[in-house]
Amino acid sequence: MESINDFIKNVKNDEIDIVEHTYKLIEECKEINKEYNYFNTISEELALSQAKEIKKQLKNNDKNIKNKKLLGVAISVKDNICVKDVETTAGSKILQGYKPLFDAHVMQKVKEEGGIIIGKTSQDEFGFGGFSVNVGVGFKVPKNPFDEERSCGGSSGGAAGLSQKLSNHIALGESTGGSIVEPASFCGVFGLCPTYGRVSRYGLIDFANSLDKIGSIGKNIEDVALLMDVISGYDKNDSTSLNVKAENYESYVKKPIKGMKIGIIKEAFGSGVEREIEKNVYNGIEDLEEEGAKAEEISLELPIKYGIATYYMIATSEASTNLAKFCGMRYGAVEKLEGSFNEYFTRVRSSNFGDEAKRRIILGTFARMTGYREAFYLKAMKVRTLMINEYKKAFRKFDALVSPTASILPPKFEDIEKLTPLQHYMIDVMTVSPNVAGLPHLNVPVGFEKNLPIGMLLIADHLQEGKLIQLGSAIEKGK
Amino acid sequence: MKKFTGDIVIGLEIHCETDTKTKLFCSCQKAKKDDLPNSRCCPICLGHPGSKPVLNKKAVEFALKLCLALNCEISPELIFSRKSYFYPDMSKNYQISQYEIPLGKGGSLKLRNGKEIGIIRVHMEEDPASLIHPAGLKESQYVLVDYNRSGNPLVEIVTEPDLASPEEARDFMKQLITVLNYLEIFDINAGIIKADANISIKESEYTRIEIKNITGFKEIERALVYEVNRQKDEIKHGKMIHAETRAWDSEKGITFSLRKKETEEDYGYIIDTDLTIVDITDKWIKEIKKEMPELAQDKVKKFVQKHKIKKEDAEILAAEKELAEMFEKVAAEINPILAAKWLRRELVRVLNYNKKELHEVEIDEKHIIDLLKLVENKRITDNVASKILEKLIEKPFDIKEYVKKEKLEAVSDISELEKYCKEAIKENPKAIEDYKKGEKKALNFIVGSVMKKTKGKATPREVNEIVLRMIKD
Repeated sequence: MESINDFIKNVKNDEIDIVEHTYKLIEECKEINKEYNYFNTISEELALSQAKEIKKQLKNNDKNIKNKKLLGVAISVKDNICVKDVETTAGSKILQGYKPLFDAHVMQKVKEEGGIIIGKTSQDEFGFGGFSVNVGVGFKVPKNPFDEERSCGGSSGGAAGLSQKLSNHIALGESTGGSIVEPASFCGVFGLCPTYGRVSRYGLIDFANSLDKIGSIGKNIEDVALLMDVISGYDKNDSTSLNVKAENYESYVKKPIKGMKIGIIKEAFGSGVEREIEKNVYNGIEDLEEEGAKAEEISLELPIKYGIATYYMIATSEASTNLAKFCGMRYGAVEKLEGSFNEYFTRVRSSNFGDEAKRRIILGTFARMTGYREAFYLKAMKVRTLMINEYKKAFRKFDALVSPTASILPPKFEDIEKLTPLQHYMIDVMTVSPNVAGLPHLNVPVGFEKNLPIGMLLIADHLQEGKLIQLGSAIEKGK
Repeated sequence: MKKFTGDIVIGLEIHCETDTKTKLFCSCQKAKKDDLPNSRCCPICLGHPGSKPVLNKKAVEFALKLCLALNCEISPELIFSRKSYFYPDMSKNYQISQYEIPLGKGGSLKLRNGKEIGIIRVHMEEDPASLIHPAGLKESQYVLVDYNRSGNPLVEIVTEPDLASPEEARDFMKQLITVLNYLEIFDINAGIIKADANISIKESEYTRIEIKNITGFKEIERALVYEVNRQKDEIKHGKMIHAETRAWDSEKGITFSLRKKETEEDYGYIIDTDLTIVDITDKWIKEIKKEMPELAQDKVKKFVQKHKIKKEDAEILAAEKELAEMFEKVAAEINPILAAKWLRRELVRVLNYNKKELHEVEIDEKHIIDLLKLVENKRITDNVASKILEKLIEKPFDIKEYVKKEKLEAVSDISELEKYCKEAIKENPKAIEDYKKGEKKALNFIVGSVMKKTKGKATPREVNEIVLRMIKD
């Protein structure tokens, strides 16, 4: 199979008619979408106009065109990332019809580098879920590319599923508590969630401001590295953006891993984890050892024990304030203008938010109330600091930590329905803690069981995304 | 809680817009008076999904200056929180404000009567949009929202309940405006300063009533006087005072009930993690201190020591930044004691008469210097100078030319004065007789007659001397 870099070369050398290619690709997306529901919107018009512009510039021998890192590559965008003039809903009915006035920072970067925006991918409403079943009122649930009766994970479900199905494409995903690596694991693709602040959040519709991160999902590790190259870096419009020099992530692909130290998180294996998953993850670790890495067990108690509680406390508190702005004024859903302001916005929110959004608003509002703030929200903030400290201690010894990405295989929709909200939340047990600590993490596909993909989770210290790419590509090579 | 003993207990929460060029969290220019509604806003101050706030550093410096001027203890970290409540003027249905740790705390400000008023906290926050009620606050069926104001920088100043009367509340506001003015962080012509007042009286066992949204220092006294009388009246008629929030209707001159206050509102504060914590370093504070202008109390000291004017005069001059600055410029050229006398008495009198503030009139120190030079050199009399000043306030003009044209120069030629005196004595023999009989007041009549003849261009003291000499002769 040709790689994306080969594809870009062919576009630059005019061996591919980019307009014709894009047209066919959009048709393919429509076909895939009929079956799998990976898109909320296919941005056909924008994609074709971008392709035509590239064709024109190539014809004119435009000087800059040959330096563009993503020239002609199809980029799908999770629906909570703003694309100017393209419907952006974050998967919620309350934003149906909303077309942002501006591009998210990452969109500007992608456009500058010649990436072609093919559409907005489906997700749990505002990112509230791990199976992409908590879609907004009237939205369709995306299906697993390997078994349509199963979930493709969430919340970046559409992005991960599409990455498995569509070639010459890279997806922009977003993670608050595991929403990049978990669907990547369920769909058998690579997903990299960077350090908090590495990629600007400007133009990302907030779920939880202190946790949200935009990252990349792709079939190959080099695809993921390429898109990370484009979107990483400081942005003055996001106060939490880190002012550190950009790195060339592609240079880490195929870089030898000899001597690197891997910590196997003891608490992440054993009870509660399906046997086949454990077996495949250990195979992945063996691959790394064969390439010269050294693996050793380490105990990390706090993240597994308190991760879920800490995460849901902080995430719902922040989410409940972020969702307050959706009230039927200025943009998004409206209802008949009747009664007082309180009656009006209550009606708008009651009929346009899904059940999980309402649940999280209630949970978060409760955790912020006087008397509970200290017991819940502020306590969670303290535990978060302790968790970061525990990870930091581990990274003094290890280059990366490893665990399964998910403790179960992609579940059937009929089984998900039987889960209580708390069981549903527990699915994130492996992924929430690196998210709470703002650490970069990567899903690496390590095998199949019952024709369903299994993923390994690699976690590195802050700003060490390069090491993750290095390790991920070593396993890819081993395949 | 403090145990109150006074007749009236008042605490203020004052919101003041600081005079930055752009808004607090976006780069929108702040709106001017004539800007069209909703013409100064962007996705950030409109709270559009995906937009993020970025802090305006200038606004922090302005707030720090105020904290320093009010002798506050300054927090080493600036932390913003979200104050959540639903209201149509809120673009995000939360306001970016400060909660646990305000920028400044534990300060004070002195009233004119010397009483120190405690400042609990000074914090920064964003202004909501403005609501326009087309048919009046209570009557309108709908409201219009103008986001031009949304996101403007505010400082909130919360006082201890140390104010004992509406007059003290007014003076506190006045003193605060003086400080803001000296610091040059408030645009007195366009900036908004508003107060919420908590007021309780002894008769109601200090049941707290909050009055919202009182604009300006004159209004605060009016509103509080009304409220004190209203509460006393209610009690006199056997009614109970319940804790509630009221609004001030400036046009009708009344307060009216907005809502009963059974419990404190719960704003569910959390830290706004879209903004990072800003370190307020000692180095930064030092730099700001260096930039701090002289404040009123510094000016008073300087005026007394350097210019040797009376402390009482110095205090009046320093109470208003423009007046103090004008004094300094005038005193550089004119005898400071003369300058002080003319500025604090005559200028203030003429301004008050015209119901104007100094910044509202066109005259500047050059006009005053021209005028007082003539007075100092006895080229014109005090009387004439006062009349010129009255005219100057209306519209400035060239004083020297005016004096020449209108022939207002003082009659300093003795022989000419003697001529007028001789005439006056001749025309009023009865007055001379009365004076000689011992009626000293009769002399004033002669002097007045001479003044009339010279159209006020003579100094009464000089005329007095000449007339006396002539009578004796």
